[in-house]
Amino acid sequence: MRKKIRNSALTLGMATALLLSGCNFSNSTEKVDDDKDNKVNQTLNVTEPADVPTLDSTKAHDGIAFTVLNNVNEGLYRQDENNLPIKALATEHKESEDKVVHTFTLRDSKWSNGEPVTAKDFEFAWKRVMKDNSPYAFMFVTAGIKNAEAILNAEKDADELGIKAIDEKTLEVTLEAANPLFQTLLTFPTFLPQNQKFVEEKGDQYALEADGILFNGPFKLVEWTHEQGWKYEKNEDYWDAKAVKLDNINVYVVKDPSTGTNLYETEKVDRVELSSALVDQYKDDENFQTLKESGLVFLRFNHKHPVLGNKDVRKAINMAIDKKGLTDVILKDGSSPLNGVVPAGFYNSPDNKDYRELNGDFNTGTVKEAQEAWAKGLKETGQKDVTVSINIADSDDQKKVAEYIQAQLEDNLPGFKLEIKAVPFAQRLEIEKAIEYDLSLSSWGPDYSDPMTYLDMWLKGGSANRMDYYNPKLDELVAKARTESDLTKRYQMLLDLEKILLEEDAAIAPLYQEGESILIREKINGVLVHPTGAEFTYKWASIKE
Amino acid sequence: MKRYLVKRIGYMLVTLFVIVTITFFLMQLLPGTPFTNPEKLTDQQMTILNAKYGLDQPVGIQYIRYLGNLVQGDLGYSFQHEGRTVSSMISDRIGPSAFIGLQALVFGAIIGLVLGIISALKHNSIFDYGSVAIAVIGMSIPSFVFAALLQYYVGVKLEWLPVALWEGYSSTILPSFALSVTVTATVARFIRSEMLEVLGQDYVITARAKGMTENQVIIKHVIRNALIPVVTMLGPLAVSIMTGTLVIEKIFSVPGLGEQFTLSILVLDYSVIMGITIFYSALFIFVVFLVDIIYGFLDPRITYKEGESA
Amino acid sequence: MKNSQEKEIGRKDIQNQNAYIPEEITADMFVKAPLDPRKSEEIGTPSVSFWKEAFQRLAKNRGSMISLVLLVLLIILAIIGPSMNEFTYRGQNIEHSNMPPKVQGLEWLGFDGKDAKGIDQYAEKNVKTNYWFGTDEFGRDLWTRVWKGTQISLFIAVVAAALDLIIGVIYGGISSFYGGRVDNIMQRIIEVLVGIPNLIVIILFILILEPGIKSIILAMIITGWVGMARVVRGQVLQLKGQEFVLASRTLGASNPRLIWKHILPNVMGPIIVTVMFTIPTAIFFEAFLSFIGLGLQAPLASLGVLIEDGYKSMRYFSYKLIYPAIIISTIMICFNLLGDGLRDALDPKMRK
Repeated sequence: MRKKIRNSALTLGMATALLLSGCNFSNSTEKVDDDKDNKVNQTLNVTEPADVPTLDSTKAHDGIAFTVLNNVNEGLYRQDENNLPIKALATEHKESEDKVVHTFTLRDSKWSNGEPVTAKDFEFAWKRVMKDNSPYAFMFVTAGIKNAEAILNAEKDADELGIKAIDEKTLEVTLEAANPLFQTLLTFPTFLPQNQKFVEEKGDQYALEADGILFNGPFKLVEWTHEQGWKYEKNEDYWDAKAVKLDNINVYVVKDPSTGTNLYETEKVDRVELSSALVDQYKDDENFQTLKESGLVFLRFNHKHPVLGNKDVRKAINMAIDKKGLTDVILKDGSSPLNGVVPAGFYNSPDNKDYRELNGDFNTGTVKEAQEAWAKGLKETGQKDVTVSINIADSDDQKKVAEYIQAQLEDNLPGFKLEIKAVPFAQRLEIEKAIEYDLSLSSWGPDYSDPMTYLDMWLKGGSANRMDYYNPKLDELVAKARTESDLTKRYQMLLDLEKILLEEDAAIAPLYQEGESILIREKINGVLVHPTGAEFTYKWASIKE
Repeated sequence: MKRYLVKRIGYMLVTLFVIVTITFFLMQLLPGTPFTNPEKLTDQQMTILNAKYGLDQPVGIQYIRYLGNLVQGDLGYSFQHEGRTVSSMISDRIGPSAFIGLQALVFGAIIGLVLGIISALKHNSIFDYGSVAIAVIGMSIPSFVFAALLQYYVGVKLEWLPVALWEGYSSTILPSFALSVTVTATVARFIRSEMLEVLGQDYVITARAKGMTENQVIIKHVIRNALIPVVTMLGPLAVSIMTGTLVIEKIFSVPGLGEQFTLSILVLDYSVIMGITIFYSALFIFVVFLVDIIYGFLDPRITYKEGESA
Repeated sequence: MKNSQEKEIGRKDIQNQNAYIPEEITADMFVKAPLDPRKSEEIGTPSVSFWKEAFQRLAKNRGSMISLVLLVLLIILAIIGPSMNEFTYRGQNIEHSNMPPKVQGLEWLGFDGKDAKGIDQYAEKNVKTNYWFGTDEFGRDLWTRVWKGTQISLFIAVVAAALDLIIGVIYGGISSFYGGRVDNIMQRIIEVLVGIPNLIVIILFILILEPGIKSIILAMIITGWVGMARVVRGQVLQLKGQEFVLASRTLGASNPRLIWKHILPNVMGPIIVTVMFTIPTAIFFEAFLSFIGLGLQAPLASLGVLIEDGYKSMRYFSYKLIYPAIIISTIMICFNLLGDGLRDALDPKMRK
């Protein structure tokens, strides 16, 4: 009997060992302690909420991949601390008189396999985006690069894209027309170069593992364990390596926010994002910070709905919601009330004034004013009681917002009844696309750092419109603004666009501008947070004493 | 017996085929696209992508094509993680899930057995009520609450074990423990109920009359016979625990399969949904088969004759 | 009835005779009992039915009875609780957001209105009314919401148990009792049901059905009873071959009688234990359904939903988690002790 037990214990032990070997533990347990010259250990530990699906810059489509690419690669431009484009690989950027032909001169720099980065690498990568019909191919249309739209519509071949490598170090890009956004867009990771030989060698396994990608940026990816994390190391061959202070960055995939804070408390990580449920607990912590983000959360109205199609009704709904209560009491995560479509704090006019300050608030008012507009709207539509449903995704935040709005609207607007219909995100989107909703709780993340990204989504038939909204004046003005190269005039147009959308039509009900509350250790310095494209730049980050 | 086995395996394949078929068509009924970044895709791009992956074809043709690949053992590529095969995703992520699952089973079975036996032997005493309460609280408070409490008190306050992340054996203990709670409760409750039942059986009385010591009676007769319903419950439970659980994996940052499965359904990653469904169903069907066989060993009265039950 | 009367008279005679003890026992001292030969086969004591006897035994079980009382109390509270103060389960008041629990006279028990940092929020915010279980972030009264949620969760529990007992027991019973091809097909159907990802079916439900109780029940019907069916099947397979069943069958017992009188009482233990597992599973399944949009319409919340909400900020607003968790655990412990008592009472072999 005893022998039997010992035998089975042995088998169990062996099975355990076998299983353990199949467990893929990540081996980043050892802490890097290089105390050379008694310097501070320049290692940063952070978390990300998900793994990276692919690091192929032509296919990458999520903020986390953009962050990695932004830190391991270098394009023509990169974003500085004010989110403005600064020259990176480009040493010189010449424009033709009509601002249609742009000529870039590249600096000397190397891929991590020792080959030089050339103009050809840009041409190859950009055409590859168009060839593969990549998720962000539309960025080339937004940038107005010649033939991009025709290629996307399968009317032209990808080879006809308006980009040409004149020689090793000279790159020529032709646009359809002058585009004031061009430089801003070039900081986006989809515009990064790729080494043709390496990409073709790796085939469909390109950029799926740490050794499947080449680096030419401030850091190199030395380790990447799927679903667990990755590790950056300083790239000594980077052209601006002097500016890079950090030696290592460890990134851990942590999906649960309270797990993140627990890791922060045990000093495993240096920066975590808090969910709103955790804000109360940490808001008095000395390392607590809130940051404004550029995401917009708003209500879409079905403009074909018999009641919601009425402008006064939409205005009433706009005014009846106490947005400050929503952001300060319910969400508490750094989001702030928004009474416009372009968020505050990111987009300055040529004379350096904030968009929001210039345009002010739209459709604000007291509950009484809301009720007046409501009564007027009901009279016009001939309705008395209105029951509508709101289409939301099944996330914590969306649920909270919906419950809050429900109580606000039902309390403040007599006869109004709101039903909450939650569905998973993919289905919410489909319902929105098919316009099979009354109200829809939506969010919009900007594609590039310019108010236009919030304004041209309302064009007739635009893929982000999704509510049957159409105002010919808006369409016309967008077309004009796209090619206006006088920046002051253009900015005025952008301001006017918002007025058409909200003052004239009250087409949507903006709710709040997203925010982020974080815990970050004091010793961390210079981590840049961007509103669009890559979220973080670590190039200039360092650890203080 | 041999004929029974052959027949049974045949049925297993048929069942699997039915599951594959139903899942395939149900999945296609869900609105949405498997492509990444659907929010920003234009209609034009959608059309091109659909054509590229053959999603513009009638569902029936897609199904036949899928079966064709499946027969050759090809589960296809993930839509969300472009370039990665479904089989590599499953094999990468089943390891951690299976490991903490197995460990949870061992923890749970041991604690559950002890609680259950105490309960049955000290029937209707304070020990009985106490162990009932422990087992019941274990099943009525969801495992994520335990997980969070363990993580905070053992990980953050006491610093005995890692808070989360997948870095060596010590990081597997807390998730296994949190996961074992269900197993503990199951084993404890069923063992108690069955032991009480068995304790009154004639053969137990006979065994005692023969002069066997109480310990021998309990081990040789009572526990063995009490195990049958436990095996029934534990088999499928083992499959679901070892193929991963969303919440525990999320809380402890375990790179397991459970989280992947839920996610792939939510983002409609067709090939991954099918791959994991097949993997999970095959495992489940196999375990049910094993349980049926184990019945035969545990209880000689149950036999599978030809024509009977097969 | 007549029989027992006669017996009583007989007993009295014996008592009278106890007065003197005869020196010798002779044959003439014996009198033939007036026994009707036709009744020789009849059983003496009043025939107590199995179920009635079981109930009597249950009534003697202390644990079960205390549980029963507690359960009744909880049910009463669930019914009257929501109307015990002036708040409704849906009324929001964001000025009273996240108030800790406070009850006059129960300050020593932690109902003192102080938050995790020891600040008296009632003094701080100058709130006059006491929230007995505190408020959530919307300023909704948790006392009202918790008892409203208890109503819903109890309902879910009953439905889950009923489904288990009706579908699960019958399905498992039929499958194993008839065996052979029937069993084979029925078991394969279960495998198919388990194999198809639940979530896909539920999302389809969300798109087709209106959210609410009906949809929850429908979702539970798909797979809620599978565990029970398998347990019952396993047990019946085992019992089918036992001597007493064979004996009964040989004696010509009909199938219903066989199932009702012989098999069912013997499967009762595992059935009760399985029901006890189904209930909490169903309660949290409902919470999951509500989260993804098929369950209850917000602002209605069940205990499961409240626990999931409370869990997110459990370290700072522990009261949001503790009260619903205590209630759900109490309900479950009571159910289980009651179930255990029932099991003991129904076990034919425990008869003394």
